[in-house]
Amino acid sequence: MSERGTRARRWRGTTPARVRLLTLTCVVAVAGLFGSAAFTLNQARDGLSVLGDDAGPQAMATTKLYLALADMDARVADVLLMGTDHELGSGREDALERYGNSRARANEALLQAASLTEGDTVEKKNIRAVLDGVGAYEQLAAEARLLNDEAQAPPGRVDEAALEPYRRATRMMHTELLPKAFNLGLDSSAIVRANHEERQEAVGLGLLWVGAVGAVAVAALLGLQLYLRARFRRRVSVPLAAATAGTVLLTAGVTLALFASGDHQRDAKEEGLDAAMALSRAGAIVTDMQADESRYLVDREMADNYQQVYLERAQQVLFRPASNLEAYYEAIDEVAAAYPDLPGTDGSDPDDPGTLGYLGQNAQDALLPGQEDALAGVLESYNALQNEDRALRSAAGSGDLAGALDIRMGIAHTEDGAFQAYETALEELTGLHVGAFTEGIERGDAVLAPWTWLLPVGALLLLVLVVLGVRPRLAEYR
Amino acid sequence: MRFRHRRTAAAAALAAVAVFGLPACSAVLGEEESLVDAASMTVGVKTDQPGLGLDDGDGGITGFDVDVALYIADKLGVPADDVEFTGVTSAEREEKLISGEVDMVVATYSITPVRKTQVTFGGPYYVAKQDVLVRAEDTDIRGVRDLEGRSVCQGEGSYSAVRITEGLGIDVQKTEAPSYSACIDSLREGDVDAVSTDNLILAGFLAEDPSAFRFVNNPFTDEKYGVGLPYGDVRACEAVNKAISEMYQDGTAQEFLETWFGETDLQVVTSVPQFEGCV
Repeated sequence: MSERGTRARRWRGTTPARVRLLTLTCVVAVAGLFGSAAFTLNQARDGLSVLGDDAGPQAMATTKLYLALADMDARVADVLLMGTDHELGSGREDALERYGNSRARANEALLQAASLTEGDTVEKKNIRAVLDGVGAYEQLAAEARLLNDEAQAPPGRVDEAALEPYRRATRMMHTELLPKAFNLGLDSSAIVRANHEERQEAVGLGLLWVGAVGAVAVAALLGLQLYLRARFRRRVSVPLAAATAGTVLLTAGVTLALFASGDHQRDAKEEGLDAAMALSRAGAIVTDMQADESRYLVDREMADNYQQVYLERAQQVLFRPASNLEAYYEAIDEVAAAYPDLPGTDGSDPDDPGTLGYLGQNAQDALLPGQEDALAGVLESYNALQNEDRALRSAAGSGDLAGALDIRMGIAHTEDGAFQAYETALEELTGLHVGAFTEGIERGDAVLAPWTWLLPVGALLLLVLVVLGVRPRLAEYR
Repeated sequence: MRFRHRRTAAAAALAAVAVFGLPACSAVLGEEESLVDAASMTVGVKTDQPGLGLDDGDGGITGFDVDVALYIADKLGVPADDVEFTGVTSAEREEKLISGEVDMVVATYSITPVRKTQVTFGGPYYVAKQDVLVRAEDTDIRGVRDLEGRSVCQGEGSYSAVRITEGLGIDVQKTEAPSYSACIDSLREGDVDAVSTDNLILAGFLAEDPSAFRFVNNPFTDEKYGVGLPYGDVRACEAVNKAISEMYQDGTAQEFLETWFGETDLQVVTSVPQFEGCV
């Protein structure tokens, strides 16, 4: 044993063996760099595609469920209000058609939500409850419409018998369906957030590995260089020096690309998706809010309640301190006039909390440069909606039911109503954020794209350079 | 609160940061402290509201809010033994949450846009409505508009009566008492005609003496009772929302409502409320 062992030990101590060992270390380190970089780049690509193609768009779709349901209830109230006058506003046919469209959209959104929530029982149960509930709601709504038609109820005076099923229907919509639908939208936002953070964390960890393995590779290459220089009394080995520089470049390049794509992904989520979803929530709540005007007229007994609920929803959308609607109208007028400044935000009055809510500070903070006009448009159309509301309530308050009804049908008119104008303005602003979302994902992808070939080619080049640097020296021993 | 062990990935990452000295990356990896990782917690509740949070005299606090807090804590992985309750008044809720004296507030804490600038709210776990309680024999008050010219008692610093006077434009005589239990006493004595505040709070008093009073049953505002959390703790907020959904789905919420308010004719909503959202 001993002779063989001694020979092996002696061989390990020889120069060619040491060169081979150092070379192997370099090769392994470069391979490790390739592996960790490829893995992390893949993680980053997956993160982008999950956000951009799956979770993001699905979350957007879920947010639309609330809008569709709220719109259904709004159309039913409008049809009841029209009574026998089928030509009021944009007409009964139009309202019924839009009801059907919203019903179909709700169904579609439910299906998409179901596909987003695999195996998650809380959300699954909510989706099932909404699916069942929509059916029950439709029956009650149909019953109310039928009774109202049979009673030949004149416009603005809903039949008492028809009111009863409508009350049940709208109560069901507001205590059971809409809350669950809204929560489903929030759930999908939560899924997107958790997903996004998990991926960012994984990429962050990967980045550390890339940096560490890159440093090891550079150290190994320098070690080899120094060893060759000392042993063979040569000047710098050019291929090895090139390999060292290449390793530094490759590590730095991958790191920078990962950082940049991470930034783009964050922009896509925060300035794009999150902002767009917040705005579509604002749109959905306003849909329900303007339907509160119809319910206020339909159900005079509960009118105080519907008026209060209107104010509360309005405060959620755009908040200014106001204890009643009259004060709120004034405050919103100020907001629209003062924009791009938001009242109460300069800190001059410590008791003024500022302009809050979906369309307040949040929307302002999420704006990208040059988008102020779009938000200004939304605020103006929102103010116009409030002005109409003021006129409606003042007419109803002074007993002019026909006048109030006309205003209400004017607001809901599908071509030139104040609500339609608000929706259009909101869509424009939302569209800008959706654009920022798509762009962020595309930019993130674009930063990563060249590395699909740059990384393997670069790593291969490094290996070739190492071999080129070592071969002539080893040849001296042949 | 104490914390459970962090995930190994985060620990490995931190070790890596220490070894390789890449402090820039810790920003990418750094997970913020969250109630989700807590092993114990302190919850602020009311101690003077029957049915919601009431000091039982033996050092314990009982009520709907307490039960809800225990359910949520359990879903967050904190068993009842590790939940400590402490009394908070309406005025000190923000302050105690911000200072970290309490980790969570479940104390008839209405979510408002202004409070949302300082507190992150999970829930609401229940949407109460403002209503009016009158003496059982006072049958001619049928709606809130019948209060015109009558006297209405509210707790000190409350906005309840303002909603009737300014919100609905009904002229009532406002009287203030240091607490709602004092209002209820005045109502019983005949010194005031009505007490107005959230129906859940009123139901708590009513449950103590169901035959003496009745609801006008004309709910006119939404009071969204939220779970107050330290500002920005989104992970905890999402976990709390999930817990509340489960509380309604598995029937526990109905059970709690039945336990604390079943004696009264309060029309409780047994379907999950619309959440406020965590960001």
